[in-house]
Amino acid sequence: MTAPLLDITGLKVHLHVGERIVRAVDGVDLQVAHGTCVGVVGESGSGKSTLARAAARLLPNLPATISGTAQFEGRDLLGMNERALRGLRRRHGFSMIFQDPLGYLNPTQRIGAQIGEALSDEDGAKTPRIAALLDEVGLAGARDIVRRYPHELSGGMRQRVMIAIALASAPKLLFADEPTTALDVTVQLQVLQALYRLHRERQMAIVIITHDLAVVAEICDACHVMQSGRVVESGPTASLFANPQHPYTARLLELSRRRAGVRP
Amino acid sequence: MSPILSLRGVRQVYGGGLWARGAAPAVDGVDLDIHEGETLAVVGESGSGKSTIAKILLGLVAPTEGEIRYRGATLASLNKTRHETYRREVQAVFQDPASSLNPRMTVARALGFIVRHHNLAPRGGEHDCLARHLAAVNLTPPAQYLARYPHQLSGGQQQRVAIARALLPRPSIIIADEPLSSLDISVQAQILDLLRQVRADSNVGYVVISHDLAAMQSIADRTAVMYRGRIVEIGPAIYTRPFHPYTRLLLDARLSLDPARSRIRGAAPPAPTAEAPAAGGCHFRNRCRFATDRCAAEPPALRPLAGDGTRAACHHAEQIAADIPQSEGRHS
Repeated sequence: MTAPLLDITGLKVHLHVGERIVRAVDGVDLQVAHGTCVGVVGESGSGKSTLARAAARLLPNLPATISGTAQFEGRDLLGMNERALRGLRRRHGFSMIFQDPLGYLNPTQRIGAQIGEALSDEDGAKTPRIAALLDEVGLAGARDIVRRYPHELSGGMRQRVMIAIALASAPKLLFADEPTTALDVTVQLQVLQALYRLHRERQMAIVIITHDLAVVAEICDACHVMQSGRVVESGPTASLFANPQHPYTARLLELSRRRAGVRP
Repeated sequence: MSPILSLRGVRQVYGGGLWARGAAPAVDGVDLDIHEGETLAVVGESGSGKSTIAKILLGLVAPTEGEIRYRGATLASLNKTRHETYRREVQAVFQDPASSLNPRMTVARALGFIVRHHNLAPRGGEHDCLARHLAAVNLTPPAQYLARYPHQLSGGQQQRVAIARALLPRPSIIIADEPLSSLDISVQAQILDLLRQVRADSNVGYVVISHDLAAMQSIADRTAVMYRGRIVEIGPAIYTRPFHPYTRLLLDARLSLDPARSRIRGAAPPAPTAEAPAAGGCHFRNRCRFATDRCAAEPPALRPLAGDGTRAACHHAEQIAADIPQSEGRHS
């Protein structure tokens, strides 16, 4: 058995808020194998986003104590210097997409330039590669998109542009933090389909952070349920949904099913 | 009996001057009657005009064209007293409870204004009145919550306070714009239960604006589906017997909670993309697999389709209803 792509053990992120310590992430173990799709579900405040940001080294510079380990292909992520980190982000490492693409796209720069910036210079002309990336995320029909600004796109198009930018470095792992929460249902389906296709075709591992169990049911191989900074249950999606062991998982499932009008 | 609120030929175009060129109307010719004690859900995707409908019903926006009637009389024709009654009878609950409560006022102070404004309690009885209302939304013991500031409450508690505030003046109808979407799923379930409980206790009606079909299915008496500013279907059973292809599309786009029935993992056909709106004819025809020449030539009007009052704006509604929906059974 090969080592996992991402290996998080005993990760703790304790935030110092005034005199108090908030245990946002409080001892999490999580492994992501090459080419798998893993879901992290939880309600607000469960620590799921903080976990992903800590692993992707994208936590804002807050007073916090971070302990435990996070390794990407055996390399220590938490202790890695900025230069090595940049290398991982630019070439075959990991990328991250967020709920609100507008907050992460440059409002004053055209889409084509923003995707181009994420591409490395070494692999030849950028224009065809930008077009290829747009094709891959399902924006093939919108050639003029490269000349547009973020505010000229719909929410679903922006999220796809974010995914295209994330794909520019040909990552082995994509962190997706609530990638479809802000989108309409029909658009959500398209974006999830695009993510799933990329996962299969590129053998790209995905960690999806979500509050929505249906997103997990639709595309994740495995699932981790978080509550108050801890993973309370982990397992293959099918068995976790069929036979939840932890009462919190069972409750979330029951609420989600009741809400979707599914009678037990 | 006349409806509490009606919209007649309502059209709303935002912006003006420089930005008016080619601005699509947010609401484009809506007729709607809201009856005493009923729960009407208005569903649709972002940009469909559903929130604008809420604003118009609340009198926060005066429509560009058309009229809004309160118990049969146009809003503009109401005298001061009647307008005050309208203000009291039609209350609002918004999506983000944190921003709809004044952060610098305790719950008691914020709600006390309303009690005094509408003379809802005798002199000295204000505290009792507030306590009763907080208890009614399950914030107990009330005294403890009255002294708090909004930031000392959780999102669900804030939304309960917002509902208590809306209930204070004994409204006939509460217009709630996405009251659930900023809340966690466990809290959503509690707020839905609370809305049902309040309805049973007081015969208040609701207009709930939401993008969440599942939640609306569990609470609505009737549901209006909006697409690009128009009501394309309205009726009591749109979730199980859709007549309009857009209603079908929305129902089919719901994700499954059963990993074995995942459509994305299975070789799902690509979801139809949002095309540019078609000029003339039916606005939905570019996304519609049932579209024919007639749909391009002739805009479909809302027409009755079932004995239960269901109406849909589609030339091929009968054919669509007869076609077995893909969603059928997926959620059962």
